Amino acid sequence: MIVVTTEGVAGHEVLETIGLVRGCSVRSSALHAEVVARGMEQVGGEILEYTKLLAEVREQALDRMVDEARARGADAVVAVRMVTSEVSRGSAEIIAYGTAVKLTPR
Amino acid sequence: MIMTTQDRPPDRDELLAMAYVDDELDGAERSAFESRLAHDERLRQEVSQLRKLEVLARRVAPPEPADLVWAALDRDALHRAGLSTGLLLCGAGVAVVALGVVALVLRASALPLALRIGVVAVVLGAAILYGTLLRARLRTIPHDPYTEVRR
Repeated sequence: MIVVTTEGVAGHEVLETIGLVRGCSVRSSALHAEVVARGMEQVGGEILEYTKLLAEVREQALDRMVDEARARGADAVVAVRMVTSEVSRGSAEIIAYGTAVKLTPR
Repeated sequence: MIMTTQDRPPDRDELLAMAYVDDELDGAERSAFESRLAHDERLRQEVSQLRKLEVLARRVAPPEPADLVWAALDRDALHRAGLSTGLLLCGAGVAVVALGVVALVLRASALPLALRIGVVAVVLGAAILYGTLLRARLRTIPHDPYTEVRR
């Protein structure tokens, strides 16, 4: 599955536009990780627990978007974007969305 | 398990699981495999392990200098002991305070009975809720490939 942020894919033409596909995920860190992260906030520097949490959410949201595209018979997802929302404090939330398309080599 | 060291070559199911995770099965093969997945716990475990590996492999990148320091700290006995002891004391402290509140409220005969029952119910309810959620999370962790994501 090709996943790009551009409107098209180099070397290919869009044969069919399938439509919007999206995936979202909301995750939180475990209590012990949260305690350590709060401690890191006081001493400064990168908060690894939050970096990891955000990366987990990003990957899961992207994978869910790709799963939907695959289920709808797409070859690629173009114009992919990611946005954050805020459902609850202490959680990381990402929505990934894009346009599922069928491609043909140019 | 595929992720453990093994001398034998992978069997057909393991190869199918690899192809499934790598998105290499065509439509009919994919559908057939997914219908088997619905009933085969061993196959589901196989796919779950491979997905963890796939997510991990996707994130392979040269380590930054700070990562090496953090990795060394993770192995450092003093650092680990400090974190473990701190977390343990905090957790035990919260539990002791909660039990103390329950004991105090139960003995405080000046308080209305309804209030005493209410406070005890809140503390017990929170403990049961947390325990149940923790149990649920521990059961889903083996099937959650995203716990392997680093950044």
